[in-house]
Parts: sequence; structure tokens; C-alpha cells
Amino acid sequence: MSTKPAHVTGSGAQTGNVIRDSMMGLVPGTVDEIIALNGHVWRESLVSPALLEILRLRNARTVNCVFCKSVRYDVAKADGLTEDRVQLIAEGYEDSELAPREKAAIALADAYLGFPAGMDADAAGRVADQFDDDEIASMMVALMTYNFTSRAAVSNGGMPEDALPIMEMSVSAAAG
Amino acid sequence: MTEPVTSITLDESLARAGPSAASFARLWAALWQQDQLPDGLLELCRLTFARLHRDEAELAAVNPQAGRRADLDTLRRLVIEDKAHDSAELSDGEKAVLLFAEYYWTDTQSIPADVGEAVKAHYGEPGLVLLIEALGLIDGRIRTARCLRDMNAFRANQEDLAHVD
Repeated sequence: MSTKPAHVTGSGAQTGNVIRDSMMGLVPGTVDEIIALNGHVWRESLVSPALLEILRLRNARTVNCVFCKSVRYDVAKADGLTEDRVQLIAEGYEDSELAPREKAAIALADAYLGFPAGMDADAAGRVADQFDDDEIASMMVALMTYNFTSRAAVSNGGMPEDALPIMEMSVSAAAG
Repeated sequence: MTEPVTSITLDESLARAGPSAASFARLWAALWQQDQLPDGLLELCRLTFARLHRDEAELAAVNPQAGRRADLDTLRRLVIEDKAHDSAELSDGEKAVLLFAEYYWTDTQSIPADVGEAVKAHYGEPGLVLLIEALGLIDGRIRTARCLRDMNAFRANQEDLAHVD
């Protein structure tokens, strides 16, 4: 396993919160709200934890955050997202056994993550068929949260090149 | 005419999501109040991303949190015209930040070590971390605004079709 050196190492804190102990702990003016945001996203979103985890893992895959790809959140597992279903969040997902609502969530994530970012009429129609405006807004907040934190890790470097073992994580470890 | 959804106006569209949207709006507001980077520099990053996305609505958006430096209008124009790196109006530190932003947008995985070191040399590790956070939030908001504009256009088109029927 080779690793490109990180621009910035962790904050030096050992609080047990993965965000506060990361480099983000070096900016006290934002770290508390980032931790709070993670909590709000996981605990108070308007879609299910399993659907959030699908968004998070689709983002992790596209951004190629090795850490994020290895993590499985406990709340999503409790919500019924099995490892078999996680493996369907990949190329060819449209022909998979994922539910229409899950496929539409992936289409939304891909629109957000694309170059150029945006939705064509087909994707917009699929999303509109499955979600109301409140749910779409909620998923966009979740996507932005997962995307900016994973890209922070990736842009900083220090990321292993090889896949890591699957690791279950409690929401409380990143959300206080 | 209704103002288009952009990274600046996005919170109005997201508020319906409840506590997570409110938290996201607080983080966005906090970002512009930090002092690790010079006044106005994050606005130049936003405009850099707007240019790279070729997003006319984002380029035209007026950011009330942009900063108060006297030369900001000049710097805005230089960034929009992609002339910032050749200009004497920006400091070496500011140019280092904008170069980092361009690498971040193009390929987040491949930011050269010396590009990150240049930012750290001017603004320290906290400055680089704030920059990384800010770039992710700015780009995410531009991306979300683009998706929501497209959704709005799709819905308007569907309504037009329904009226024709």
C-alpha cells in the first residue's frame, strides 16, 4: 500500500470524534458546525438512512475517497442496507435489483457529481417521479455534506491507494 | 423576474429540508467570517469555480459576504477574465490560493505537493484547511444550484406541456 504524503496532518486532538481529530480541528470557527451538520444530516434528514448511505457511497466512489468507501454507517445497516445491496451501487446499477427510489437517488448524485454538474430531463424526471421537493432539498444537503468532507480528505492527500477493510462506524463518532 | 438559484441564494431553496439545511446555512455563513485567509479571497475562489463551471448565473451573482477590500471589483474582473495569475494586483499568496483552487476543481486527487506548500507558506496549516473546506462548500453549492435550476426548468416545462394538453 503506497500513500501520497498529506499536505496537513491531523489536529493533534484525541477526542474520539473523527472530524475534530482530523485536520478540520485546526479551524475552530468551522469545526463545531461541521460536526453538528453531520449529526443533523444523519439524524434529521427527510429520507431514510439507507438512502443517505447510498448517496454517501456513490459520492465516495466517484470522488475515490478510500476511507469513505470502506466505512459503513450503523444507522444504514440497521435500516436494512446489506452489503449485497451496497455492491449494487456501481456501474450498471440501473439494471440492478435496487428499488426505483434508490436508483433515482443515484441519478441525483450523479447529476451533482458530473462534469458538467446538472440534470438532464431524463434524470430530472426520474427524480421528480420518486421524491418531493422537501426530500430533494434534504438529499442535496446530504450530498454536499458528504462531498465536501470526502473531497477534503482526498485533496489533502495521505490517502491509501489500495482498498481498506470494511469498517462499521457509529454516527456518534462523526456527529457528536 | 425571479433571481436564479446560485450558491449565494441557495439557502432559500434548501430551507424546506429543515435542521440539516439550517446547519448547512450556518456553516456557509461562518466560512466568510474566518480570518485565516485575506478578506475577499474566498470570493475570488467562488468566481474561479463559476468560471470553470462556465456558469453565467453564478458569475453574475452578487455575494453580500464577499468582503470589503477596496480593490475587490478589479480582482473580480481579473479572475473572471482568467488574468489573475499574470496580474501584479494579486499577491503571491493570493495567487497560490487560486492555483490550489484550480487544481482542486480539475482533479481533487492530484494537487501537487508544492501547490499545497505554497498556500501553507503564506497562510499556515489552518489557512490551507479553511481553504480546503471552503472550496468544497463553494463547489458543492454551485453544483446543487445547477441541479435545482435544471429541476425547476424541468417542472416548468412539464407545466407548460400540461397546459397545452
